[in-house]
Amino acid sequence: MDHDEAVRQKATERYLLDELDPELRDQFEEHLFDCQDCALDVRATAMFVEQTKVLLAEPPAPSALKEPAKTAARARWLAWFRPALAIPVLTLLLVVIGYQDFVIYPKLTATANQPQIGPWASVNVSTRGGSETVIKTHAGEGFGLIVNLPPEDGFTSYLLELYNPAGKLEWSGPLTAVPSDEGRQIYVPGGNRAAGAYKLAVLGLTPAGERKEISRHLIDLQIQ
Amino acid sequence: MQLQSFDESYVQRLQQGDFRTQEHFVAYFSELIQLKLRSRLNSPQAIEDVRQETFTRVFIALRDGKLRQPDRLGAFVNSMCNNVLLEHYRSTSRDDSLDDEEQPEIPAANVDVFGMIAAKQMKEKVSQILEEMPERDRRLLREVFLEERDKDAVCSDFRVDREYLRVLLHRAKQSFKSLYLKNVAARPPGAAAVGKR
Repeated sequence: MDHDEAVRQKATERYLLDELDPELRDQFEEHLFDCQDCALDVRATAMFVEQTKVLLAEPPAPSALKEPAKTAARARWLAWFRPALAIPVLTLLLVVIGYQDFVIYPKLTATANQPQIGPWASVNVSTRGGSETVIKTHAGEGFGLIVNLPPEDGFTSYLLELYNPAGKLEWSGPLTAVPSDEGRQIYVPGGNRAAGAYKLAVLGLTPAGERKEISRHLIDLQIQ
Repeated sequence: MQLQSFDESYVQRLQQGDFRTQEHFVAYFSELIQLKLRSRLNSPQAIEDVRQETFTRVFIALRDGKLRQPDRLGAFVNSMCNNVLLEHYRSTSRDDSLDDEEQPEIPAANVDVFGMIAAKQMKEKVSQILEEMPERDRRLLREVFLEERDKDAVCSDFRVDREYLRVLLHRAKQSFKSLYLKNVAARPPGAAAVGKR
């Protein structure tokens, strides 16, 4: 075997990988002992392999270890707390909280504590039947219902139920029996309320716990 | 271990018993003999026995002027090693001594200070080469060289062919060779092989 053939066949690598058959191995060794280039190649590769075995046998350094997936996931979650991300987020939160505390909340409080003018209707509860009332509001504006209870009728308390134009129960609340000259107001907020025929049902509760519908009132809500 | 040409002058210095030349000669061919023997002999002691016996016979042959072509010194050493190896195979079953002839003193192959420094540098270089490799290639080398698994099975597991392994080793060698050559050239004649025990 000459030098060119040894190089072409990658004889150095095959020799150290024990891939040469005995005849080729003998031929390469005969060349190897005479060729300083090939000898250098073999010695360098053998040294690399020896050092590789030593290094790969050593336990890996902690920094070289790949972190398990769980740790990586935790690291991604903790990344939210990195100053680069956490500081702008906290600043934005402080601005939002400050706006709510110093602008929105005081305005809402002031609005809630101030007298308000709005439409209302009187509902006279009577065992003789219901009534029909028209209320005109503006979009988003609520309205009031003054409920006047009948004089002594044997009920211990009452239950009011408000149905929307689709017939769905929208609100229900108890009403303690009071003298007929003491009316009670129900305030119905505006919100996104739709126009249409609302119904207010008044139910009486007997001392025995029975419920009995006393009257049903139609409230025609017109939004202008 | 500096590179020297094996010519008539070199052989004459060996025949005259020049210690530095003998040191170089033993260091240079010790590595090659050990690489040659490790695939043929299992026992480190047997390898050492054959190595020493080879040098003993080569020195005797040189003294007796049996080397006709000085430029074929390497082939002469290889041929002598083959003969000793064959005798070792035969003698193993008979448990005979290899040779009772007078044995000239052979320079010891000890690790020197230069070798220790070079070993550190080379270990760092190999570490760097390994770190630059993909994880899969490192695992491949580990299973082939460290765990000494069957190479066909390893290649099958990693879905590569044997040529991939050769090329991987070839590239690593190319990266490592310049530093190796620098260390070899910088070392004084006769310095022992790096990392040799």
